[in-house]
Amino acid sequence: MKIVMDGKEVKAEPGQTIIEVARANGVFIPTLCHNPALEPAAMCRLCTVEINEGRRSRMVTACNYPLRVDAEIVTDSDILRQGRKLTIELLYARCPDSETLKDLAERYGADLNRFPQQNMDCVMCGLCVRVCEKVGGFVLALSGRGVDIHVQTPFGHLSDQCIGCGSCARICPVHKIQLIDEPDGLRRIIVRGQEVSRVMMPTCGVCGKHFGPIIDLDQVLTRAGEPGVSPFNRDICPECSRQRLARRLAERHFEQYQLAAGEEA
Amino acid sequence: MAPASTSPGMAPASQRLNSVEELERYRQAILDARDPETPRIIVCCGTGCQASGSVEVAEAIKKALAEAQVEARVLPDIKTTGCHGFCSRGPLVIIEPKDIFYQRVKPEDAAEIVEQTVKGGELIKRLLYKPQDAKEPLATTHEIPFYAKQNRQVLKNIGHIDPFVIDDAIERGAYRALAKALTQMTPQQVTHEVATSKLRGRGGAGFPTGLKWESCAAQPGPRFVICNADEGDPGAFMDRSLLEGDPHSVLEGMALSAYAIGSERGFVYVRMEYPLAVRTLVNAIRQAEALGLLGDNILGTGFNFHLSISTGAGAFVCGESSALMSSLEGKVGRPRAKYIRSVEKGFRDSPSNLNNVETFANIPEIVTRGGEWYRSIGTERSTGTKVFAMTGNVYNVGLVEVPMGMSLREIVYGIGGGIPNKKELKAVQTGGPSGGCVPIPKKFLDIQMGFGKLAEIGSMMGSGGLIVMDEDTCMVDVSRYFINFLVEESCGQCTPCREGLTRMLEILTRITQGEGRVGDVELLEEIGQFTNTFSLCGLGTSAANPVLSTIRYFREEYDQHILEHKCPAGVCKPLFHYEIDPEKCTGCGVCRRRCPAGAVSGEKKKPHLIDQALCIKCSECYRGCKFDSIRIM
Repeated sequence: MKIVMDGKEVKAEPGQTIIEVARANGVFIPTLCHNPALEPAAMCRLCTVEINEGRRSRMVTACNYPLRVDAEIVTDSDILRQGRKLTIELLYARCPDSETLKDLAERYGADLNRFPQQNMDCVMCGLCVRVCEKVGGFVLALSGRGVDIHVQTPFGHLSDQCIGCGSCARICPVHKIQLIDEPDGLRRIIVRGQEVSRVMMPTCGVCGKHFGPIIDLDQVLTRAGEPGVSPFNRDICPECSRQRLARRLAERHFEQYQLAAGEEA
Repeated sequence: MAPASTSPGMAPASQRLNSVEELERYRQAILDARDPETPRIIVCCGTGCQASGSVEVAEAIKKALAEAQVEARVLPDIKTTGCHGFCSRGPLVIIEPKDIFYQRVKPEDAAEIVEQTVKGGELIKRLLYKPQDAKEPLATTHEIPFYAKQNRQVLKNIGHIDPFVIDDAIERGAYRALAKALTQMTPQQVTHEVATSKLRGRGGAGFPTGLKWESCAAQPGPRFVICNADEGDPGAFMDRSLLEGDPHSVLEGMALSAYAIGSERGFVYVRMEYPLAVRTLVNAIRQAEALGLLGDNILGTGFNFHLSISTGAGAFVCGESSALMSSLEGKVGRPRAKYIRSVEKGFRDSPSNLNNVETFANIPEIVTRGGEWYRSIGTERSTGTKVFAMTGNVYNVGLVEVPMGMSLREIVYGIGGGIPNKKELKAVQTGGPSGGCVPIPKKFLDIQMGFGKLAEIGSMMGSGGLIVMDEDTCMVDVSRYFINFLVEESCGQCTPCREGLTRMLEILTRITQGEGRVGDVELLEEIGQFTNTFSLCGLGTSAANPVLSTIRYFREEYDQHILEHKCPAGVCKPLFHYEIDPEKCTGCGVCRRRCPAGAVSGEKKKPHLIDQALCIKCSECYRGCKFDSIRIM
């Protein structure tokens, strides 16, 4: 399979997406809603490229287009630049002050004041929803239709299934999901200004600090296709647990050496 | 909504038809039982006529017949018969065998109809249809230009059968094609006939049906047959009329598709707003299964095909094939961003053949009469016929079926009867929210209906919606209307459609309110071309068409709104007012009497005056004036 990207032939395996091939060959394609660990959503449309598989040129999103036959791809053209510029301008209008969008704006010459602004604290990339489904408690979803579409827990209620892993906060490209750890051990997660979960972090029986979250590893590993998890102690924080393990190892192994060393001396 | 499957509904073995020969004998028995001389009274109970009171008309006729002791069969027995198409003239009553056509019938006319026409054989002149410029009325359906100029193939049974009585459909040939295919043709031969016919999808996209079936059949099974009955274009009622008037034509088409591609499972996805279509379909499936025409071991041939019905929940976007399949699976009805065709991976990630209602309805005749016959109708690139729902500023509003290639002129004037109230034709909007306007002042009236020509000028034929617009239509307001619809129906996943269309609506609303700015039209074009190029699904990639086509052909109207703050059509209220021309006003006083705001004053036979401070621009005076003396300023 022969793939030509921006005039240069690049290495590609059948079934790879355009973006996988681009990244492997050092070709830049802008993205916002893409994460290589998650299923592509193709919602932001920033990664749109031109492809010609022999008949006519088409616009396709690079994040989810599977390459199966010979193709010529153009990742940067006037139309693509224009489209990316307008996409950034439209997104900035609903999520102003975002550094990520400002960086993209600079690259494509976007006018950030083009459209009247309304702070929606979200660029509708869907990453938080997808990561929550994959490794979290599967509590976030896209609700509503059209401009009313928004990220929400079921019926907007405080979630009792959230595990407090904070993947959503970490993956949000515009950093609009807040993760707040209170001193008494309560972890609060706030999406678009609305509290979606309050998870009490467990307390370490050894040092007394709060730690967490307790991820249901069974679930995560089953979803990842690797069942079978040995249970772990939920009363001891990772720090103390490491120290305890180190001491046990020392007791088991170093004692012999000490004796041996003592004998030699 | 979970699929509502039909009950097994197995009739006693004596009623089930176990072979093609038994079906033919059954059909013959129905035909033999009919006495061609016995009058048959057909009352149209399509949605339009029902709204005009046709159910009451049917009841009144039944009562009058009973009292007069005449042997006649009133169709429908169960209240509905499909839409005859001549919706502007309902309630319609047709009396066979003479094919007498009565229009605008009231329940009070029932006794007279029975006495004069059914018993006496005489016509009631006032109930007959008289064309616009004719001196004498016409007596029979086939003389009426509205019908004479059509080619009713797919609609041929509607209006002649009670859709709740399967025997009516069988009498007129239902399931003959399926019987032929199952016993005389291989699946490949069936697909070959469809490919030969060059039938293209009737839902709007126009994909070659034979090619779709071939691609699906080539994939490893299990395969699914799905009917897209989510007709969502505003003003479109082609599919509705088919489902409510002749459901078996669609079911038979689906069964033929299943046989051709190798499928045993089918779904009809009907929009929630069509409860009558759902009832008709459920009943039709049950009756067909009871006779062994659907379900297990159809006509004893060993071929199985089970059909279920699933309803939508009020989302236009679920007419898009991937959103439809997502909804059918019980998931949220949002299009999927995928580049793998649904014939390869569709419903439940399995090969799925999705066709529109009208597409399926075309299949039985293609199988019976052959693909070559079908190709002989229409044009080279657009074969066969097309059903249009003609609405708007035209005399004969209704459902029409014409061969592809017929010109707009013939449809709007020949069949539609032209524009009422002596108005000028301004544009014809086709293709619904994905389509565009054909501008009449640019002399496109002779354009041929089909997949190619309309697309060349920036419009598209679409699924069959055809809106006739006269000079009192504001094209800026038309594009605002369609964008408003699409903003509400957008699923919201992708940036261009969700944000772009919303910005376009803001701009168009401002313009119609007199707050347009220089640069607005260019901005609309920029955003419109952007959404057409970068959107995730077909809704988004065609959303800007009404706006772009009206800007292309009616740019002056946009400029007048923005630069002169004028709406020449007299629609955008802040941008016009009415004035009475004192030279032409005869002082008849009609406007004064019609005005609900008391804004018109004047003495009899003297020119009248409109008080602009009181005027609410409802247009009552404008529409009531017979002397053309009210100006839009």
